[in-house]
Amino acid sequence: MMTTLMYSAVVGLIIISLFSIARAYSGPTVLDRVVAMNVITTNVVMIILIFAYIDKSYYYIDVAFVFVLGAFIGTLCILKLLREGHII
Amino acid sequence: MILQIIAAFFLMGGFFFLVVGVVGLLRLPDVYTRMHAMGKCDTLGTGMVLIALMLLIGDITNITKLVLIGAMIATINPVITHVIAKTAYNRGTPMVEGSFLINDYVASQRRRRRSQIEPATVKEGGEGS
Repeated sequence: MMTTLMYSAVVGLIIISLFSIARAYSGPTVLDRVVAMNVITTNVVMIILIFAYIDKSYYYIDVAFVFVLGAFIGTLCILKLLREGHII
Repeated sequence: MILQIIAAFFLMGGFFFLVVGVVGLLRLPDVYTRMHAMGKCDTLGTGMVLIALMLLIGDITNITKLVLIGAMIATINPVITHVIAKTAYNRGTPMVEGSFLINDYVASQRRRRRSQIEPATVKEGGEGS
Protein backbone atom coordinates (compact mmCIF):
# COMPACT_ATOMS: atom_id res chain seq x y z
CA MET A 1 0.00 0.00 0.00
CA MET A 2 2.70 2.43 1.03
CA THR A 3 4.95 1.67 -1.93
CA THR A 4 2.12 2.24 -4.42
CA LEU A 5 1.28 5.54 -2.76
CA MET A 6 4.90 6.64 -2.91
CA TYR A 7 5.28 5.68 -6.56
CA SER A 8 2.14 7.68 -7.39
CA ALA A 9 3.51 10.64 -5.42
CA VAL A 10 6.78 10.42 -7.39
CA VAL A 11 4.90 10.37 -10.71
CA GLY A 12 2.84 13.38 -9.61
CA LEU A 13 5.96 15.27 -8.56
CA ILE A 14 7.55 14.58 -11.96
CA ILE A 15 4.40 15.88 -13.71
CA ILE A 16 4.28 19.09 -11.69
CA SER A 17 8.02 19.57 -12.30
CA LEU A 18 7.26 19.44 -16.05
CA PHE A 19 4.60 22.14 -15.56
CA SER A 20 7.19 24.23 -13.70
CA ILE A 21 9.54 23.77 -16.67
CA ALA A 22 6.74 25.22 -18.83
CA ARG A 23 6.69 28.30 -16.59
CA ALA A 24 10.50 28.54 -16.71
CA TYR A 25 10.36 28.40 -20.51
CA SER A 26 7.67 31.04 -20.99
CA GLY A 27 8.32 33.36 -18.06
CA PRO A 28 8.15 37.02 -19.09
CA THR A 29 11.04 38.12 -16.87
CA VAL A 30 14.19 36.39 -15.71
CA LEU A 31 12.98 36.29 -12.10
CA ASP A 32 10.04 34.08 -13.10
CA ARG A 33 12.60 31.58 -14.32
CA VAL A 34 14.49 31.80 -11.03
CA VAL A 35 11.28 31.13 -9.09
CA ALA A 36 10.41 28.18 -11.34
CA MET A 37 13.88 26.69 -10.92
CA ASN A 38 13.51 27.00 -7.15
CA VAL A 39 10.24 25.04 -7.30
CA ILE A 40 11.88 22.37 -9.50
CA THR A 41 14.73 22.08 -6.98
CA THR A 42 12.31 21.47 -4.12
CA ASN A 43 10.43 18.84 -6.15
CA VAL A 44 13.64 17.04 -7.08
CA VAL A 45 14.73 16.95 -3.43
CA MET A 46 11.38 15.39 -2.52
CA ILE A 47 11.77 12.81 -5.31
CA ILE A 48 15.25 11.88 -4.07
CA LEU A 49 14.01 11.43 -0.48
CA ILE A 50 11.03 9.30 -1.50
CA PHE A 51 13.27 7.10 -3.64
CA ALA A 52 15.63 6.76 -0.69
CA TYR A 53 12.73 5.27 1.28
CA ILE A 54 11.44 3.07 -1.56
CA ASP A 55 14.85 1.61 -2.38
CA LYS A 56 15.87 1.37 1.33
CA SER A 57 19.17 2.99 0.40
CA TYR A 58 19.40 5.77 2.92
CA TYR A 59 22.64 7.34 1.74
CA TYR A 60 20.59 9.22 -0.86
CA ILE A 61 19.54 11.51 2.03
CA ASP A 62 23.06 12.98 1.98
CA VAL A 63 22.69 13.50 -1.78
CA ALA A 64 19.50 15.49 -1.13
CA PHE A 65 21.31 17.56 1.51
CA VAL A 66 24.11 18.50 -0.87
CA PHE A 67 21.53 19.25 -3.58
CA VAL A 68 19.71 21.72 -1.31
CA LEU A 69 22.93 23.53 -0.41
CA GLY A 70 24.15 23.70 -4.01
CA ALA A 71 20.84 25.06 -5.26
CA PHE A 72 20.85 27.72 -2.52
CA ILE A 73 24.33 28.94 -3.42
CA GLY A 74 23.54 28.91 -7.14
CA THR A 75 20.34 30.92 -6.72
CA LEU A 76 22.08 33.47 -4.51
CA CYS A 77 24.86 33.86 -7.11
CA ILE A 78 22.31 34.40 -9.91
CA LEU A 79 20.44 37.02 -7.85
CA LYS A 80 23.64 38.85 -6.91
CA LEU A 81 24.64 38.91 -10.59
CA LEU A 82 21.25 40.36 -11.48
CA ARG A 83 21.40 43.02 -8.79
CA GLU A 84 24.98 44.22 -8.95
CA GLY A 85 26.33 43.07 -12.29
CA HIS A 86 29.15 40.98 -10.84
CA ILE A 87 29.39 38.05 -8.48
CA ILE A 88 32.67 38.40 -6.59
CA MET B 1 -0.62 0.05 10.69
CA ILE B 2 -1.92 3.21 12.34
CA LEU B 3 1.53 4.73 11.83
CA GLN B 4 1.34 3.98 8.12
CA ILE B 5 -2.10 5.58 7.88
CA ILE B 6 -0.81 8.74 9.57
CA ALA B 7 2.24 8.73 7.27
CA ALA B 8 0.01 8.33 4.21
CA PHE B 9 -2.08 11.30 5.37
CA PHE B 10 1.01 13.47 5.76
CA LEU B 11 2.41 12.34 2.39
CA MET B 12 -0.81 13.13 0.54
CA GLY B 13 -1.11 16.47 2.36
CA GLY B 14 2.41 17.47 1.40
CA PHE B 15 1.86 16.42 -2.20
CA PHE B 16 -1.37 18.44 -2.26
CA PHE B 17 0.43 21.56 -1.08
CA LEU B 18 3.22 21.10 -3.64
CA VAL B 19 0.56 20.81 -6.37
CA VAL B 20 -1.15 23.97 -5.08
CA GLY B 21 2.20 25.82 -5.25
CA VAL B 22 2.74 24.78 -8.88
CA VAL B 23 -0.85 25.73 -9.81
CA GLY B 24 -0.22 29.16 -8.27
CA LEU B 25 3.03 29.38 -10.21
CA LEU B 26 1.20 28.69 -13.46
CA ARG B 27 -1.97 30.73 -12.92
CA LEU B 28 -1.03 33.89 -11.03
CA PRO B 29 -0.35 37.02 -13.08
CA ASP B 30 2.78 38.56 -11.55
CA VAL B 31 6.30 37.83 -10.28
CA TYR B 32 5.39 38.81 -6.73
CA THR B 33 2.23 36.74 -6.55
CA ARG B 34 3.97 33.72 -8.06
CA MET B 35 6.68 34.11 -5.45
CA HIS B 36 4.03 34.27 -2.73
CA ALA B 37 2.56 30.94 -3.88
CA MET B 38 6.00 29.36 -4.22
CA GLY B 39 7.32 30.35 -0.80
CA LYS B 40 4.43 29.30 1.39
CA CYS B 41 3.27 26.16 -0.37
CA ASP B 42 6.75 24.77 -0.94
CA THR B 43 7.78 25.18 2.68
CA LEU B 44 4.59 23.58 4.02
CA GLY B 45 4.54 20.70 1.53
CA THR B 46 8.19 19.91 2.12
CA GLY B 47 7.66 19.83 5.88
CA MET B 48 4.70 17.47 5.60
CA VAL B 49 6.48 15.05 3.25
CA LEU B 50 9.49 15.05 5.59
CA ILE B 51 7.25 14.25 8.59
CA ALA B 52 5.78 11.31 6.65
CA LEU B 53 9.24 10.00 5.80
CA MET B 54 10.36 10.38 9.43
CA LEU B 55 7.38 8.34 10.63
CA LEU B 56 8.09 5.62 8.06
CA ILE B 57 11.84 5.31 8.42
CA GLY B 58 12.05 5.16 12.22
CA ASP B 59 15.84 5.11 12.46
CA ILE B 60 17.46 7.74 14.65
CA THR B 61 20.38 8.66 12.39
CA ASN B 62 18.24 9.06 9.27
CA ILE B 63 15.61 10.95 11.27
CA THR B 64 18.35 13.36 12.35
CA LYS B 65 19.38 13.90 8.73
CA LEU B 66 15.76 14.48 7.71
CA VAL B 67 15.25 17.01 10.52
CA LEU B 68 18.39 18.78 9.34
CA ILE B 69 17.10 18.89 5.74
CA GLY B 70 13.76 20.24 6.98
CA ALA B 71 15.41 22.97 9.02
CA MET B 72 17.65 23.83 6.07
CA ILE B 73 14.73 24.17 3.64
CA ALA B 74 12.64 26.09 6.19
CA THR B 75 15.41 28.67 6.53
CA ILE B 76 16.60 28.74 2.91
CA ASN B 77 13.21 29.17 1.25
CA PRO B 78 12.21 32.46 3.00
CA VAL B 79 15.72 33.83 2.41
CA ILE B 80 15.50 33.05 -1.32
CA THR B 81 11.99 34.52 -1.49
CA HIS B 82 13.14 37.71 0.24
CA VAL B 83 16.14 38.17 -2.05
CA ILE B 84 14.07 37.51 -5.19
CA ALA B 85 11.49 40.09 -4.06
CA LYS B 86 14.20 42.65 -3.31
CA THR B 87 15.85 42.06 -6.69
CA ALA B 88 12.55 42.32 -8.57
CA TYR B 89 11.61 45.52 -6.75
CA ASN B 90 15.00 47.13 -7.33
CA ARG B 91 15.03 46.21 -11.03
CA GLY B 92 11.63 47.80 -11.49
CA THR B 93 9.77 44.70 -12.60
CA PRO B 94 6.23 45.82 -13.47
CA MET B 95 3.34 44.74 -11.28
CA VAL B 96 -0.02 43.59 -12.57
CA GLU B 97 -2.74 46.11 -13.41
CA GLY B 98 -4.69 47.17 -10.36
CA SER B 99 -2.04 46.64 -7.71
CA PHE B 100 -0.82 49.60 -5.74
CA LEU B 101 1.89 50.51 -3.25
CA ILE B 102 1.79 52.80 -0.25
CA ASN B 103 4.88 54.96 0.37
CA ASP B 104 6.84 53.72 -2.63
CA TYR B 105 10.36 54.76 -1.62
CA VAL B 106 12.37 53.20 -4.45
CA ALA B 107 10.10 54.53 -7.20
CA SER B 108 10.21 58.03 -5.75
CA GLN B 109 14.01 57.90 -5.57
CA ARG B 110 14.21 56.65 -9.15
CA ARG B 111 11.85 59.37 -10.34
CA ARG B 112 13.89 62.05 -8.59
CA ARG B 113 17.15 60.73 -10.03
CA ARG B 114 15.65 60.56 -13.52
CA SER B 115 14.38 64.11 -13.34
CA GLN B 116 17.72 65.38 -12.05
CA ILE B 117 20.35 63.62 -14.11
CA GLU B 118 19.21 61.97 -17.32
CA PRO B 119 16.52 59.72 -18.77
CA ALA B 120 17.29 56.27 -17.38
CA THR B 121 17.08 53.17 -19.52
CA VAL B 122 14.46 50.56 -18.77
CA LYS B 123 16.21 47.53 -17.37
CA GLU B 124 13.49 44.90 -17.40
CA GLY B 125 11.51 44.19 -20.53
CA GLY B 126 8.66 42.16 -19.08
CA GLU B 127 5.03 42.92 -19.60
CA GLY B 128 3.73 41.24 -16.45
CA SER B 129 0.73 39.86 -18.24
